[in-house]
Amino acid sequence: MHIPDGVLPAAVSVAGYASAGALTWYSLRKIEQKHNPRQNIPQASLLTAAFFVASWIHIPVPPTSVHLVLNGLLGAVLGYYAFPAILIGLFFQAVMFQHGGLSTLGVNATMMGLPALLAYHIFRLRKVWGKESRVWTGLFGFLAGAGGLGLAALIALTLLITTIPAYLDAETEKAGIYALTLAHIPLMVIEGAFSALVVLFLQKVKPQLLEG
Amino acid sequence: MSLLKLGLDEFARLDSPLHRWEPRCKLLGLMALIFSFSFVQDLRLLPLMPVAAFALFAASRLPLSYLTTRLRYPGFFLLLPAITLPLLSGSTVLLRLGPLALRQEGSLAVLLIATRFISIFTVGLILFGTSPFLTTIKALRALGLPPVLADMTLLSYRYLYEIGGDLARMETAMGLRGFKAHRLRRSALGTLASLIGSLLVRSYERSERVYQAMTLRGYGRSPRRATDEFEAHPRDLIALGGLLLLAITFAAGEIAMRLWRGNL
Repeated sequence: MHIPDGVLPAAVSVAGYASAGALTWYSLRKIEQKHNPRQNIPQASLLTAAFFVASWIHIPVPPTSVHLVLNGLLGAVLGYYAFPAILIGLFFQAVMFQHGGLSTLGVNATMMGLPALLAYHIFRLRKVWGKESRVWTGLFGFLAGAGGLGLAALIALTLLITTIPAYLDAETEKAGIYALTLAHIPLMVIEGAFSALVVLFLQKVKPQLLEG
Repeated sequence: MSLLKLGLDEFARLDSPLHRWEPRCKLLGLMALIFSFSFVQDLRLLPLMPVAAFALFAASRLPLSYLTTRLRYPGFFLLLPAITLPLLSGSTVLLRLGPLALRQEGSLAVLLIATRFISIFTVGLILFGTSPFLTTIKALRALGLPPVLADMTLLSYRYLYEIGGDLARMETAMGLRGFKAHRLRRSALGTLASLIGSLLVRSYERSERVYQAMTLRGYGRSPRRATDEFEAHPRDLIALGGLLLLAITFAAGEIAMRLWRGNL
């Protein structure tokens, strides 16, 4: 789910870079406030690389297979490092495999990264209601994964349908956005279930990873 | 994992004016051109974009196969709008084939999108194909990329291949133990989730060792001045000026066409 070069008008691409710049600034400010940034950089970098590699794993959904976006899970694990991580991952994808594009890097990073930050906050809610349990962790892992993908799909489809010169009236555009977002619900369920299983695995094996 | 073997720096050591161009100037000049291309909407300016992009590509001495092999995958993504837009969008019917109608507005939109895509794509390949990837990152850092982002980019790039190798080994091990993911079942999903979880745990543990090794080598003590690595000669600046002028010409041409259309 990357928007390639050439599809969006320049104003949207520039606005994408501006919003990605603002989100990067916000994330870096939060990182400086919360952690010893130098100490966490190797950790965030290697996890960025791991998520990048993990996004190539295909999940069988007969008759085809889908690859996971993992932006919600990435947000849940990396916290405020999620936005820089997504920016870097998308930059690698654009440069190495020509997925997405250089002019649309800002748009794609906002589209994936903003939901990742939201997923981070959703996942943190698991601690609000008292003691952390496996059920809560699994549930909020699901919500983070499904919400991350759902919001990214909504942003992507809204951008594509409203900016592609399709000469459609506003009502048809709105219906199209709703219909195509609804079509993503099965993928959201898979993504959410998968994220829940991964956070439960991490809680059992390496709970420090979920403290980001 | 074969994707990892594509080799980003395959042709980075060739000798051409674009390879010799100072990386910071190259980055600024080519990015300006990319943005000016994405600004173009007027069909009369369309043919000039691929001409400029391909002229630069020829000057870069990158082989044509470098472009064609990389074009295949993203080109596939453009197929969907390329098929649907001419059939769905617009009111002027060019050709009617039974229930299907080829419409003028949609076809022109596809032409615009495809031409912009090819032109930006080609310039992007030149930008990253004519310098080693690490040099481009250093140039970005010298141009003001925040240190946290630059460090993260360099480190993730450094460990991408190793973690990719980890995943390949783990997948081989799973295959040898009889794992086959053909159907969407909870057990298959659980196994794949454990695979990704293990990959994250391994990377996390490796990062602790990496941080200790980096600290021992003085990481974080004295920030180096990144700009010292590059030196722009007059010819680099002249080339940058030329490309900025080309980018401005495209943008000005587009604005002029819009104004002219507005006056009609």
